[in-house]
Amino acid sequence: MIEVDGTLKARLAVWLLVTVSGLGALLMLEANFATRRAAERAYDSQLEAAALTIAEAVQWQEGRPVVEVPAAALQILATRHQERVFYAVLDSDGRRISANLDLPIPPAARELAAREPVWRDTHHGGSGWRLHGREHDSAGWESQDPVQVWVGHTLSGRQALAGELFQRTVIRFLAMVLLAGLLMLLAMRVALRPMRRLRHLLRRREADDMRPLDARVPEELREMAETLDTLFARQRESRDALLRFTADASHQLKTPLAGLQSTSELALQSREPDEWRRALAAVHDGTRRTSRLAGQLLSLARLRHVSDGSELRPLDLVALLRETVLDWAEREVAADHDLGLAELPSTPVLVRGEPWALRELLGNLIDNALRYTPPGSEITLGLETPGDGAVLYIEDDGPGVAPEVRERLLRPFERGGRQDTHGSGLGLAIVDSIARRHDARLKVSDRQPRGLRIDLRFPPVAGEGA
Amino acid sequence: MRGVRQALLLVVGLMAPLSGVAATPLVVEAALDRQVVEPLLEAFAQAHPEIDLIFRDRSTLEVDALIEDADPAPDVVISSAMPWQMDRVNQGYARRLDTPQARDWPEWAKWRNEVFGFTFEPIVMAYRLDLSRHMLPPKTHADLHALLTAERDTLRGRVTTYSPSRSGVGYTLFQQDARYTPRFWDLVAAMGEAEASLEANTRAMLQGLSEGRYWLGYNLLGSYAMVWAQQHPEVVVQVPEDYALVMMRMAFIHRDAPHPRAAEAFLDFLLGREGQRVLAGQTPLFSVRPDVIGPYTAQRLRDQVGDRLYPIPLNASLLAFVDPQRRDAFLRRWRREFAR
Repeated sequence: MIEVDGTLKARLAVWLLVTVSGLGALLMLEANFATRRAAERAYDSQLEAAALTIAEAVQWQEGRPVVEVPAAALQILATRHQERVFYAVLDSDGRRISANLDLPIPPAARELAAREPVWRDTHHGGSGWRLHGREHDSAGWESQDPVQVWVGHTLSGRQALAGELFQRTVIRFLAMVLLAGLLMLLAMRVALRPMRRLRHLLRRREADDMRPLDARVPEELREMAETLDTLFARQRESRDALLRFTADASHQLKTPLAGLQSTSELALQSREPDEWRRALAAVHDGTRRTSRLAGQLLSLARLRHVSDGSELRPLDLVALLRETVLDWAEREVAADHDLGLAELPSTPVLVRGEPWALRELLGNLIDNALRYTPPGSEITLGLETPGDGAVLYIEDDGPGVAPEVRERLLRPFERGGRQDTHGSGLGLAIVDSIARRHDARLKVSDRQPRGLRIDLRFPPVAGEGA
Repeated sequence: MRGVRQALLLVVGLMAPLSGVAATPLVVEAALDRQVVEPLLEAFAQAHPEIDLIFRDRSTLEVDALIEDADPAPDVVISSAMPWQMDRVNQGYARRLDTPQARDWPEWAKWRNEVFGFTFEPIVMAYRLDLSRHMLPPKTHADLHALLTAERDTLRGRVTTYSPSRSGVGYTLFQQDARYTPRFWDLVAAMGEAEASLEANTRAMLQGLSEGRYWLGYNLLGSYAMVWAQQHPEVVVQVPEDYALVMMRMAFIHRDAPHPRAAEAFLDFLLGREGQRVLAGQTPLFSVRPDVIGPYTAQRLRDQVGDRLYPIPLNASLLAFVDPQRRDAFLRRWRREFAR
């Protein structure tokens, strides 16, 4: 069943969104800091300029520092954002020579300013202030004490500038995201084009067209295309096999039916009751074989098409083997052969399987051995338990099979190059099918000094239910 | 139905101000002659009958002290002592006004949208007709200096100007004069030689001119002088032709105004078209707004005297004028030059 689980586009878009928002958040954070720093720097330099301008106006008169605050310094302080301004000139004892607001300057800041220019953020009268203090060496005729110049202003200009810079960054970023999104859409279209091509190609295909794909695909789709090709090849093989099987089956059924027809025609032309009786016997024999052939064909077809393995359950291979061989040994067809069991393990050997199928398998193996070995041959079945698996084998001292034919042995209607028996050639094919259902591996080998041996290796039973 | 309801509303509307129940008081502390500004106050009372305007006319120093000390604080503060107003705003005593009128007010006539220069008053020279009978009246600062030097004996004791120590406006004007040219100090010295009388306000100078005590006055408020000259033909007003300072009255809403709504309404009216129209038509305070027409507008003044009008800039540089050390130094220099 095909379940539609979103679209690739949506998935890419979501990932893009997640990535972009993550990166964007980081970027915004950084931009926020950066723009504020930039605004700080820009306005701090105004403070510095104002402080220097005021320091320049400091003069000594009668042993006291005097400063005529330059109007320009105050305008520099106010900036074009019309900040509220603060200035104070302190003598070496920290007394205010001149100041316009009673904004406090902590002694610690004064001490620090004695060594290097100081920048401070503070609060006064309900608004934030940025203060800058620096010491100014001034020399007079009577005294040479340094003076400190402190200036400050409110923060609206900084905030406005930082806001403006930040806004510009945000707008640039958003524009970039938008552009990237559009390009991404375009890129997705282009990137997904091979998939669309492949889809068209598959849709246009005839139902019985099993040729390999003829398409140009990107690396990412190669595996899928190859898998499709393999699927096609397997379907082709399977269809060929089906056609061959059907043709063979028809052929196999046709031969005995033709025999029946000719026998019955000859009998009809005769007036001899003896002839009729012989013909009737032949017809009876022929129908029996034909019906067995049809039965085998049916069972093969069934085995091939019903294969969900749900009926597998643990069963004792030793008991099954003993039972089946004893059953066969008593039959008339086995009268001319020495059908026997090798020494079996004393404890039960468990495999997962269907009893009827395994009985069918054993039956086919034994039937095959009886058919394809001359009378008097010795046929032995046995069970080995190497490691944790189970190997069921059957061997005979018959003529054996030539190695070049051995591979074809498992195909339906293959008689191992022998035309001297009434076998249908389906036996081993059925065995093979059943073995596959049980995940068992079938191996055909020579027996020494002569004869044939067939091994069936069953997988070990998983721990449960033993 | 509707007619009845409207009539009812009208009656209620008319009665409310009469009954005085809903009237909001509004205290305006101003360094501005009530006489001069009366038409404006009347127009405001008509436009806002729901507000009970209390207008107190005081000196600039009193107004400045009240900003800090008054309890409750005044709603609106108006003063012509620009540096002191600026200093108070910088100290955070003003409340921001965020109305269309405030936003549209020209940038050069406001600061931080907290304080607004709403008049445009030229600083002028005034002389008595007697003067022109003896000599050519001065048209520029250089003329004045030359005249004081050449006619020192004739003019001795007959020249008047502001006292920089007793008048904030006078001090501001001299500071601004000194910013433009160092030759200003020559003028001060010449006035000192002519034994000029120092007055605390324009009215006293005008009075002296009318009475014949003075022949020549320097740095008078044009707004008062022009009205005076209309009623006293013996006094002639001369807007200096080289440069004329322009002073602005600055108004702001007090941070702790008990009636901020009413105060905003007042300032809006002051800055609005209607208020400025009254200012331009019925007071000599001159409207700042370029879209107002009347005899007293900045535009018309510019048309008359050209581009030589130099408004005292309404920005942070004003704060330097109130710096005590700077003020002391300036006044020391003034006295030194004056007594030379």
